[in-house]
Amino acid sequence: MFAYAARRILATIPLLIVATLGLFALESSVRDPVAELRVSCPRCDQVAFDRLIDLYDLDKPVLDLSNPAESRYVAWLGNVITGDFGSSTSQGENPVSDTVFTRAKNTMILAIPAFFVIASLATFLGVFSAVRQYSKTDYAITGLSFLGIAMPTFFFGLFLQVFWGIWFHDWFGMRPFFTSQMHDDSFVDLLKSITLPIVTLTLVVVATESRFIRASMLEVVHSDYIRTARAKGLSERKVIFKHALRNAMIPVVTIWALDFSALLGGSVVTESIFSWPGLGPLLLTAIFAADVNMVMAIILLISVLAIGFNLIADLLYGVLDPRIRIS
Amino acid sequence: MTEPVISFDDLSVSFPTDDGMVRAVRNVSFDVEPGEVMAVVGESGSGKSVTALAAMRLHPGSAEITGEIRFGGRDLLGIGEKEMRRVRGNGIAMIFQDPMTALNPVMKVGAQIAEMVLIHDDVSKKEAWTRAADLLESVGVPEPGRRVKQYPHEFSGGMRQRAMIAMAIANGPDLLIADEPTTALDVTIQAQVLEVMKTAQEATGAAILLITHDLGVVAGIADRVVVMYGGRVFESGSADQVFYRSQNPYTRGLMSSIPRLDAPKGERLIPIPGTPPNVLNPPSGCAFGPRCTFASDSCHESHAELMSVGFDGTHRSRCHKLAELPDLFAAAETR
Repeated sequence: MFAYAARRILATIPLLIVATLGLFALESSVRDPVAELRVSCPRCDQVAFDRLIDLYDLDKPVLDLSNPAESRYVAWLGNVITGDFGSSTSQGENPVSDTVFTRAKNTMILAIPAFFVIASLATFLGVFSAVRQYSKTDYAITGLSFLGIAMPTFFFGLFLQVFWGIWFHDWFGMRPFFTSQMHDDSFVDLLKSITLPIVTLTLVVVATESRFIRASMLEVVHSDYIRTARAKGLSERKVIFKHALRNAMIPVVTIWALDFSALLGGSVVTESIFSWPGLGPLLLTAIFAADVNMVMAIILLISVLAIGFNLIADLLYGVLDPRIRIS
Repeated sequence: MTEPVISFDDLSVSFPTDDGMVRAVRNVSFDVEPGEVMAVVGESGSGKSVTALAAMRLHPGSAEITGEIRFGGRDLLGIGEKEMRRVRGNGIAMIFQDPMTALNPVMKVGAQIAEMVLIHDDVSKKEAWTRAADLLESVGVPEPGRRVKQYPHEFSGGMRQRAMIAMAIANGPDLLIADEPTTALDVTIQAQVLEVMKTAQEATGAAILLITHDLGVVAGIADRVVVMYGGRVFESGSADQVFYRSQNPYTRGLMSSIPRLDAPKGERLIPIPGTPPNVLNPPSGCAFGPRCTFASDSCHESHAELMSVGFDGTHRSRCHKLAELPDLFAAAETR
């Protein structure tokens, strides 16, 4: 099991190199690296721009195999390995790692509670829907799920803001979306700030997850071994929770891993709409400002998260399903 | 005369589908006596499996079901779900067709057998596991102490079916329903599994209701046989009566379509022409009429009643031409 995990981790290294190299090339080739400055500072002269380009080596090739030392990617990679992601060109020349670290912490404050709400709600709805297949409740859950899948995230975000912030703001006496800063001192304040973003994330992700869990559960419920369990004289509750659920959850683990890693990587739309200082809006500004170091750091984090959680999913697979356990 | 273990009395099962009602089982009546092996034979769609599932009340919830299934002095179709659960696995146990899929893949085999014990018997978990190992040993699984801790995927098909049998006999049921228990197995394993079933039956005294399309299996193990076609019983009687003195064109057709070791050299197998009846739109009159070589106009107008043949009333057949059959069969042989 340990060797298997180690092999899997090592196999991700080439994957990370290809991912970052591709993004590096894209990010620095399609744009004039100082385009933002040319617009925001019409009076700056070319000498200043040239100094900037020189300072950040922006004129050097991304990857030059004939002279690797000259290429920006190799220099970047060398620094990254030692933990240095360079300094940001868009966030006041602070070290990229500091900014990313603070923003990642903020994203986690949303992502972790959101994931647990999503996972439990999706399981409940999916299982319920499957057990009561073709009932009115099933049709209602199905209808709402399709609504959730069909509508874009920003719709729910904006709708919730209008609903609780303007139409019904008297109900709880709060305007949650007005909190744009972190209020570390008060838990209630924090709760007020994160509730609506979490609800928004939940609505969107639960819609797809509950459909998936329903389908997985239906397949299991109609399988032969569930009939065997019934033929033993087990109560329906035990048939569902002891025999069906664990089997139905095996494929769901992968979906959970992907969704959780996506949440931890920051949700651009939800965080931006609620002015949440997480990774999502940071990535957006960094891309617009052609802040290559920042973009690379976030992309690398997202890649590591995706790969890491996939690995966790694979290991959990082994725990849940004895058929693929490595001896 | 002893009380039958289970009696099916005028049982009918219908399923509503988008295209209309499917009458899968039509007015089926037969008994299973204590300790005997009763085989229900028929091709796909004959209603044999639905009959078996109805006895466990495991048929789909949408089914409409009439008639009676008497077991242990009550009608199983009339009792509550809770009481029915006490019958399942305890009074009546079931062995399913495909042992590869009938065991829960994420539970240890021992846990699945022990669970069966724990549902119906007030014993400790440890005791239940010991019983599970004993049961595995009794059905010929080697090293039962090690095997109980393994998962189904570590068992071969034959071993899994043995584990299913061990599970089924765990609470000493009065009736063991085996739905195509050997169909999914290799031919060499089939004989072993039948042997295990026979031994298990002798040890527990359970009656067996064997659902199969395989006449070879029936010949090896059955005391009595019911032949079903199109949801109806076409012939019933002792294994000898049905096999060697069949009084039904459909049963005859089945017999001539399977290879036999004692057949005269050079004899060809005769398949039954046509296909099984459309369950949604069964033929009018006798369900076998369109495929029957002896059918005449009267066969297509109404279906025949199940009539006694012979003297003691144990052998029954459903055919309009019952009286002429011996001559018709003789004529067919010489052709």
